[in-house]
Amino acid sequence: MSLKSISLAHVRLISQYWTRFAVRSGSGLVYLLIVLIFGLSVANNLISPVEFLMVQQEKEMGHRDPNAVQELIVKLGKPVIKFVLGTKSIGEVAKEASQEPMMMGPLMMEKEDKTVAGRWALFLLEDRPALLSSIFLILVFGLPFAISFLAFNQTTGDIQSRGLRYLLLRTERSNIFLGRFLGTAIFSTGVIAFLILTIVLYLGLKTRLYPARDLLIWSIQGFYALSILMLPYIALCAMISACVSSTFLSLILAKLLIAGTLLFAVLGRLVWEPLKYIKWLLPWGWQNHLLHPSFTHWGCASLACLVYTAVFLMLGYRRFAKRDL
Amino acid sequence: MEQEKRPGGLTALAVFNFIFAGLGVIGFIGFAALLGLKNVIPTENMQPDQKAQFEAFQEMGTMVFVALLALMLVSIVLEIISGVGYLKQKRGMGWRVGNVYAVFSMVSGIVSGLMMKPELGGGFNIGAIIGFVYPVLTLFLLNSTFKEGFTN
Repeated sequence: MSLKSISLAHVRLISQYWTRFAVRSGSGLVYLLIVLIFGLSVANNLISPVEFLMVQQEKEMGHRDPNAVQELIVKLGKPVIKFVLGTKSIGEVAKEASQEPMMMGPLMMEKEDKTVAGRWALFLLEDRPALLSSIFLILVFGLPFAISFLAFNQTTGDIQSRGLRYLLLRTERSNIFLGRFLGTAIFSTGVIAFLILTIVLYLGLKTRLYPARDLLIWSIQGFYALSILMLPYIALCAMISACVSSTFLSLILAKLLIAGTLLFAVLGRLVWEPLKYIKWLLPWGWQNHLLHPSFTHWGCASLACLVYTAVFLMLGYRRFAKRDL
Repeated sequence: MEQEKRPGGLTALAVFNFIFAGLGVIGFIGFAALLGLKNVIPTENMQPDQKAQFEAFQEMGTMVFVALLALMLVSIVLEIISGVGYLKQKRGMGWRVGNVYAVFSMVSGIVSGLMMKPELGGGFNIGAIIGFVYPVLTLFLLNSTFKEGFTN
């Protein structure tokens, strides 16, 4: 990307317009609804049993039993954390859950688990608001599947309709490419902020399970993790969008690449162990580290996300700059 | 006269209306079936939370049941009519009925929350917030982004 041809004023104007246009074009609306409904449903599935227990306790005993509530939260969060951190497969998690007696699981995470994953799980469940940790982990895993609904059509629609020719009379290709990428990223970040704010306000004002300070600190890190995680996936979609001339094909390719990379790694390792490294082609291998207790880990994961973003943007722009529009 | 091109977002809104109406129909059938079966299903072997939920259903009066069913039905009808209106870009059938649907859905969400016990998702909870997402979004979009989109 030629830095000389980039005009910040043009990029700002294009990104602002693109953010507003996202809802009108439909892709933003679909993404907004999917993310809000998915995120709030995840929160509902994790928070409702805890609320139900608290209501039952207040009805039967007249007060809450914090130990029983914490026990249930750990019981709900443990399988999520084991699965998303990759220490257990979904089959093993399901088997363990079915073997544990209802409501009365082990009190806390295994304290003697001194492995890196064990300490990480303890941090997520005990040092940070466990419900919020579980919600964030599911969102970190799930949101990359949704992002392509927003980002698949950054340039491909206009390439298909040849509408970009009129815009190119007024600005450079680099400004369009970068402006639309930034507009998409701003929209995605806004939606994530709204979702997290809703969940955190609910947890803080309605359930009152955690101190406000803990919720605030952890929600800021969760917001940061989700926002920066979306960038490489948006950049990947920008690259695909610049390479193909059909919006439908762009959506399908984005879906196939994002989900297929993970699926191929998971299934491939069953056949040949080294195939698991395929997932490193995208941030799948890094992304959980954005919620790691150590600054080195989440700092490196953030950096990796930015590197992936830069690489995908460069590749996408190379194609966009050369192609017949 | 040439018809103005429909914004993609309005088409998406119509599709969502039909999806939510379809889900509403399934919910309506399930809820209506529960009305007929609520005193027949045995609760002895249920888990404590399921049992509490089902007992709350059994304690609910028939009139409350019927009122909730009626609210669901009206909401479904309004969703389908406004969905067709969005596709045809009709001001009356789309914009007006869409606004009526959004306001009606929010009011019926509040009424349902007040009428149902917490075990059934009544009161204020995240489930209720999910129920408000689409009507609030509809109301906002119809009166801002798509306000000028109804040309017929």
